[in-house]
Amino acid sequence: MSNIKTEIIKTENISFSYNPEENSALVLDGIDLEIEQNSFVAILGHNGSGKSTLAKNFNGILLPTGGKVYACGIDTAQSDKILEIRRNMGMVFQNPDNQIIATVVDEDIAFALENLGVPHDEMVQRVDEALEIVGMTEYKHHAPHRLSGGQKQRVAIAGIIAMRPKCLIMDEPTAMLDPKGRKEVMATIKRLKSEQGVTVVLITHYMDEAVQADRVIVMDDGKILVDGTPEYVFQNVGLLHSVALDVPQAAELMYKLREYDIKVPISVLNEKDCVEVLSKLLEGKIDNNHREFNL
Amino acid sequence: MIKDITIGQYFPGDSVIHKMDPRMKIILTVVYIAALFMVKNFWGFLLTGGLLIVIILISKIPVQTVLKGIKPLLFIIVFTAFFNIFYGTGAPVFPDIGWLAWLKWGGLRNAAFMVIRIVLLITGTSFMTYTTSPVMLTDALERLISPLRYIKVPVHELAMMMTIAMRFIPTLTDETEKITNAQKARGADFETGNIIRRAKALIPILIPLIVSAFRRAEELADAMECRCYNGGDGRTRYKIYSFSLRDYIAAFIVLAVFVSIILINVFI
Ligand SMILES: Nc1ncnc2c1ncn2[C@@H]1O[C@H](COP(=O)(O)OP(=O)(O)O)[C@@H](O)[C@H]1O
Ligand SMILES: [Mg+2]
Repeated sequence: MSNIKTEIIKTENISFSYNPEENSALVLDGIDLEIEQNSFVAILGHNGSGKSTLAKNFNGILLPTGGKVYACGIDTAQSDKILEIRRNMGMVFQNPDNQIIATVVDEDIAFALENLGVPHDEMVQRVDEALEIVGMTEYKHHAPHRLSGGQKQRVAIAGIIAMRPKCLIMDEPTAMLDPKGRKEVMATIKRLKSEQGVTVVLITHYMDEAVQADRVIVMDDGKILVDGTPEYVFQNVGLLHSVALDVPQAAELMYKLREYDIKVPISVLNEKDCVEVLSKLLEGKIDNNHREFNL
Repeated sequence: MIKDITIGQYFPGDSVIHKMDPRMKIILTVVYIAALFMVKNFWGFLLTGGLLIVIILISKIPVQTVLKGIKPLLFIIVFTAFFNIFYGTGAPVFPDIGWLAWLKWGGLRNAAFMVIRIVLLITGTSFMTYTTSPVMLTDALERLISPLRYIKVPVHELAMMMTIAMRFIPTLTDETEKITNAQKARGADFETGNIIRRAKALIPILIPLIVSAFRRAEELADAMECRCYNGGDGRTRYKIYSFSLRDYIAAFIVLAVFVSIILINVFI
């Protein structure tokens, strides 16, 4: 098992079909991926491109029809190791209502620990710790259905974090949340990565979330379309538009300006850099005479 | 009418009764019920009734609430009492009036005892649910019946189903309301017409609700697997119940009442 070292998830040419007997279309088709430890990877793709299916292959909820998936170096097809895999590859879904099992917050967070047979005293300590990490300590004894969407999703994350996973796979965790809830969840995710050293795989359709990742993978029709840093991926504005995906607004604006032959830099992804570029442009430090411009 | 039924409802509070170990509450409720059925005379009712009044006072649940709990069952109580009157024995109440000869003192006595017994029974048992949250109740029940797993009763599975059911009641209630409103906005009419028409009008609510419940169930199953759910074997428990002084005191009091009733039956 020499492949444990750096990559936490490794897929070897996996394909997947929900009905392999009936020769139905492949939902995943030849995916080769290596995801490094403590990286933050965003996965983009329009509805039905196979993102959720891929995510469920990462922790053995689904097994690939062809090819192999290694989670923390363990082949997910090894059924006797499945609990170890799931403990290390925590997974959070879109709808917090359908992930919360208990009627009190702390009891819900303890659910995974109960399943793993963690001794009581350690369990109490780990529940408190998980609540602390997601900033929900004061809601410890509340009923989950009374919480806001963002709070519920943080409880769901805490329920996973309590297992102390090495990797957190999140399938559109912010899709059902309001802007405030989204911010809370994103802040929690980033803190987990920096403070707990957790590897984060975030499936999202919000570009402003994707640009915060170290690496962006774009999926289309069960295949990987583009894979690279956010700067690299969002240069391909035309390609992304062709698969019905947006790019961050700043990148979109730069793309439009370049269509008018104004040589603004390609890799502007956030508002701050965008404002800087535009102000330089307006001050005349750059004109439309085909001059290259650097930040 | 449905809204009036308080049996099975929980009234949060922080009285000694609320804080008691739910397992002890269940056990003592069973003892109380057994005691009620052993009572044969007025003194026994005085004892059990007195115990109940003390519990009501300590739990700080308003007396009106307690009375409201009896109201929906008033009909059954009156009905049972009425029939008990006819099956009495002993001396007639009105020996001089011929057509009332069937009315015996024994019958009146039976009817009165029956009313008292039912009222004490309902009020006493509903106090268990008034002062214990449903979650604690199922939890306690699971622990009490857990020895049954040795005779292959799926105790853990039953408890898990109960827990999930209770967790999803508010979610599905909200959803029903949303679907109802959505259908109303589309012109659905749930209020007029005969009973068949109204039942039919519920179909556009039930179908989306059932579809959604199945989708939720599927997602929940995935989420549980992601959290290493693997059945009941090798599970540890987060919540630990232990009897404290108040539980022992309560047990002592209830058992004292129980023994007294036996003694009263023997000696009076
Ligand atoms: N449980 C399932 N059974 C059969 N087909 C499914 C199932 N889940 C998803 N699919 C199909 O697989 C394809 C990819 O779905 P999914 O992985 O959910 O995509 P995404 O998450 O990117 O929207 C879709 O065409 C969808 O219809
Ligand atoms: Mg999806």
